[in-house]
This record gives sequence, C-alpha cells and structure tokens, in this order.
Amino acid sequence: MATTRSADVRRAAIVGGNRIPFARSNSAYAQASNQDMLTATLDGLIARFGLQGKRLGEVVAGAVLKHSRDFNLTRESVLGSRLSATTPAYDVQQACGTGLEAAILVANKIALGQIESGIAGGVDTTSDAPLAVGDDLRRVLISLNNAKTLQDRLKALARIRPGQLVPEIPRNAEPRTGLAMGDHAAITAKEWEIGREEQDELAVRSHSNMAAAYDRGFFDDLVTPFLGLARDNNLRPDSSVEKLATLKPVFGKGEGATMTAANSTPLTDGASAVLLASDEWAAEEGLPVLAHLVDAQTAAVDYVHGGEGLLMAPVYAMPVMLARNGLTLQDFDFYEIHEAFASTVLATLKAWEDPDFCKSKLGLDAPLGAIDRAKLNVNGSSLAAGHPFAATGGRIVAQLAKQLHEAGPGKRGLISICAAGGQGVVAILES
Amino acid sequence: MAVTVLDAAPSLAKLYAKAAATAWGRGGDLPDERLARNGVTVDPVHLAAYDRVCRLPLGDVLPATYPHMLTFPLQMALMSDRAFPLALPGLVHVRNRIDVLRAIRADEPLDLQVWAENFAAHPRGAAVDLRATASAGGEEVWRSTSTYLARGAKAPEGAPEADIEVPVGELERVAATWRIPDDAGRRYAKVSGDVNPIHLSGLTAKAFGFKRAIAHGMWVKARVLGALSGRLPDALRLDVSFRKPLFLPSTVTLSTEQVDGGWEFAVRSATSGTEHVIGTLHPL
Repeated sequence: MATTRSADVRRAAIVGGNRIPFARSNSAYAQASNQDMLTATLDGLIARFGLQGKRLGEVVAGAVLKHSRDFNLTRESVLGSRLSATTPAYDVQQACGTGLEAAILVANKIALGQIESGIAGGVDTTSDAPLAVGDDLRRVLISLNNAKTLQDRLKALARIRPGQLVPEIPRNAEPRTGLAMGDHAAITAKEWEIGREEQDELAVRSHSNMAAAYDRGFFDDLVTPFLGLARDNNLRPDSSVEKLATLKPVFGKGEGATMTAANSTPLTDGASAVLLASDEWAAEEGLPVLAHLVDAQTAAVDYVHGGEGLLMAPVYAMPVMLARNGLTLQDFDFYEIHEAFASTVLATLKAWEDPDFCKSKLGLDAPLGAIDRAKLNVNGSSLAAGHPFAATGGRIVAQLAKQLHEAGPGKRGLISICAAGGQGVVAILES
Repeated sequence: MAVTVLDAAPSLAKLYAKAAATAWGRGGDLPDERLARNGVTVDPVHLAAYDRVCRLPLGDVLPATYPHMLTFPLQMALMSDRAFPLALPGLVHVRNRIDVLRAIRADEPLDLQVWAENFAAHPRGAAVDLRATASAGGEEVWRSTSTYLARGAKAPEGAPEADIEVPVGELERVAATWRIPDDAGRRYAKVSGDVNPIHLSGLTAKAFGFKRAIAHGMWVKARVLGALSGRLPDALRLDVSFRKPLFLPSTVTLSTEQVDGGWEFAVRSATSGTEHVIGTLHPL
C-alpha cells in the first residue's frame, strides 16, 4: 500500500552543521573519548550559530561503539557543552544509520510542531573502544559480587581461568553471520559483478572531490579543527587509480576478490552535528536556512536467511520514498550515497538499473534507472573522509544541505546510507 | 631580579629529596631570583592523562589549572634551593589563585616564569606567595599565586599580614557527591609528578604527621573546574582556599552557587561537613 504525505506538517529546516575532522583509528584522537569528541563538536556548532546558553528543543545523537558507562552519552555531552543545561537529549543507535536517523527524529518533531529547534549528531571512536570482559568471566564476576560469604567468594574466584582474562574487543562483524562487514560486501560485489577498476575509480574520485572541496574552502563552515587536526587525515589528494591497483584485496577470497583497503573505508574516529529548526525559529534567531528535510524512509533486509546482501537495504527504501513524493530517481541535483565500500555504492546503483531485480525484489514495473554520475558525492564521501559510524549521517546531511544552498533554491538532493544489521536509511533534502 | 632560564622541567622527585636533605638551617629573606622556561609546548598525551585524572573534558583549550603542571616544578626548584628561607617539608599549600586572561590553545608555546614574594606573617607562622606567569607570543595569558604556610616559622620584621581566606556564602545545596578512592593521590602524582609522600600512602603520610594519605589540593581544584565545564567564561579568576586535609579514601560533596555571573563552591566531607576546599570563580 502506498502511503501519502500529510499536507499539514511543516518541513524542518537545516540551518547548518559542524564536525571535527575525521581521524584514522589510533591517530590524532587516540586519547579522546566519545564524550570529548561529541562535546567539542556541539561546542563548535554552538559557537558557529550563537547558541551559548540557549535551550533547544532537543539534542539527539548516538554512538555505535559505546561504553556502558556512556548510557546517557548525548545528555552528558549537552551538560558539558555551552548549551543551556535545560536542553533535553537522548541517545539513538542504528549502526551507520545513526546520524541520519537522529536528523529524521529531530526533523519529525519539528515538522509536527513539538519542538522548534534541535541538534542531531553522532560520534564514534575505534581507538577508545569499549573492551568488555568475556562472557564467562563476566558471569564469574557477577557471582563474586553477589557472594555473601568468604567461602562463596573463593568458590567464585576459583572459576576464573587464564583464558577468560582476554577482553572482548568489539569487531566490525555481524553477530548472526560471523562475517565482517567487508566480507558481506564482498559477497554482494561478486553477485553484482562489480569490477576492481570501477571501485578504485570511485575511491579516487572521492579523494579528489573532497580535496578540491577543502581547497576551495567548502568545509570552512562545516569543520572545526580538533586536537591539532584541520582536515580528515584519511584524505589522500594524490590518490590515483594506478597506485590503488597495486593493493592486495583484503575482503573476499581468491581470483575474484576486488575489495582493498583503499576502496573500503578504514576504521575512523570523529563526530558530527547538524542544527535543525522550524523556519520561524531560524528567522527569529537570524539564522540561515540551507535546505529542508523533505522526507525519509528506512528499510531492512533479511541478509541472514533471505539471501539479500547485508548493505542492500537502502535499495529497498528508495522506491518507497520516491513513490510517496511523486519523484523519480532522476529528479535530483545531487546524490549522496554513503561509501561504506566503493562496491556498495556501485551495487546499489546497479540494482536500481536492473529491470529483473527492480521487478522481482522491489515490485516495480520499470527499473528506477541510472543516475548522472557527475552528481554523485560531488564533494567527496566516506572513502576520503573516513567513516566514524554514527558521525557519517551528520556529515552527509550538513554537506548536502550546503551543496544545495550553493546551487540555489529549489534544488533537490538524495541521501542513501547502508547500515549493519541489514538496514538502510534514505532521505530527501531540498533547498 | 635575576632570571635563570632552565632548558627542561626539573624532576620533582629529586627536588623533594633535595628539599628533605637540606631542610635544616634555613632562614633569611626570599631569594631575589626568577626561574623561567621559554617556548614550552604541551604534550598532548600528558594533557589527555591530566584531563582524565581530573575528569576534565579533552579539547583544544587548556584547562585553567593545567599551566600549573608546567610552572609547579619551577616553583619547587626555587623552594628546594638552599637560598629559600623556609624548609619545604612542613610547608602547606593554603591558597591558590589562577587568572586565565584569555583562552589558551593547547598548541601555543608558552614562556613561563616563577618567583617568590610577599613573605607575610600569619598567626600560626609565616606565609609566602609563589607566583607564576605563562605568556604566549610576549602576551601574558595566565598567572597564578600559590600561598604556602610554614607553621611555626617567623616572617621578617614588619612583614604584612598573610591573606589566605576566600570568602564564600553558606552554599548549603549539594550539587554532587564524589567518592574519592584511596589511590587518588598516587594517580594524580603519576600524572603531575607531584610525588610528595603525604599524598602517596598512609605510611609515607604518617612520617609527616598525617594520619592517612591526603588528596592533592590542586587535583580537587581541577575536579571542581571539571564539574563546571561548559559553564565557564574564557577569561576567569579561579581562587580557592585549601582548608582541612582531605584524607583518602573519602566521600565528599561539592556545593555550587551562581553568584554575580560567576560561581562559589565548597568541597566538604559528606559525613562530617569538614571544609576541604572553598573558592570562587569569576569572569575577568
């Protein structure tokens, strides 16, 4: 059943964004916690838009890799920021979709008139990762804690084995399949016959686009330096297809393996935040409106038993959102497809072009069709910037909103983000 | 006043040993000398460790208390020198005032200078101010005054009265309760290098007349700063009076109150109400 958009809700405005440069794992932000990074990012946004001491409708953010002590990460960051301490906040987590989902949640409350302003964001660190004790040791420690007598305590302690003392390190792997995300992506790349060269080309374009964007000052009001870093330190302006061709594949097996460290995103640390508001609030505060969040859609696929690729859910979300808005895939001036892996972007595009897939899987009479590749990730994406999981959505929303604003009124942009757990989030922005 | 420029930070452990060995037979006036270090850069890993132990947020701006990490070894070098009239063992840090004149970026090279002044009389002995400044690009950006009390010592004839009180209001409302573990002194000593035995263990503290190890006053001060993070002006004066020793382990309360655009605060024992640290923070 096709849904229709309700006419009496307003569109949330995107006022602007801020992020800290993204840093490869265990580099510039090795000493920083999620809370440090999120607080610094919020304070940068607060300074940029003069929000010191202001109470906003809410702040919504999250982290994918999170210490249990950070249960209230976003609220704690707000309390440590220059916002009014009376600004409510909550955490969300939808893997790599976290940042965009947070923006949708804030935008929806603004659309319904429940709040007038809000910040959506995300942060992740793979350097200050939450190590956990193994499950066996955890159970021993819990019974030790519950033990009433010395005898009980000794009994509990006697159950500890040396092998249990190795901590559990969070892995970028799917709990139900045991496969790393890259291995899942490699399966999809093989299924869709995504070539090595086109992946490398996409990666090179991401780096050169982003380097050019930095050089022309595009990121000047989107990025605030942090801990000595002024640009994403994964960015390789001099990257070339020839150089990338020399790399050995890291995901997939044998002859057909195509995915290397260069056409896959590295583990990264960083944070981002986006300021959303009603048009009225933005006008009252004398703040700009870069674009509006028009609509969004989430989908999920059965990658465990259903035979669909782990990162293919955005492919399913897209036609639902397009139909609801009476738009075709070609009705956009910019496309922001998150580059978890170059092969993911290419498989996504190929699926939308494939008549059989669009008919059998998406239930469409005709394929969504091809897009103009010149409009894709024009200022670089995750292969260049890196991908601190929950921070990517905020980076893309702010970046696209500014692109649309620069292009003039009435321009449309599309966002597509794949996420662990077989989920995907897509959204439409319009200037 | 002569200025001696040092190339590196002196080792605090060595200075404590030297001060203990040369404690006797001191007297006379304050030394007419300044110690300095130029172009000092902050080690980001050390700053991160300091922030962690003091529960301060890690960022690009130095916490108000951090430059003390850089100037304290110089002050110790001055005080442990034979020319300093008061013996270091037995000196008690009773007041610390820090002025941050503007936000100091963590990557700014700093020129440091320390000296002693204001040899003053106190009903319980004599007091002296250890001064410190930090400048960036020739502009003073930070300064501090640490007042030490030497019990039983005598100030020179005609010395002024020491001023070690920081008046605050009643501060009855508790904002936070902190459980301070018994290794708090060792953990801060590891980061700050301030290995004064009174902070390290019960045994070493007893040798100096304390029943248990006591927390570093500057650590408590930094934790108050951390508790107020996000609510601080860029330029500020943070003035505290160290009252009664905070024995480890302890549970203490932090009381805060906004006054005239700034803050008053008190750190007290959660059980007895004994005042450990009281102070004020004002925008400059």
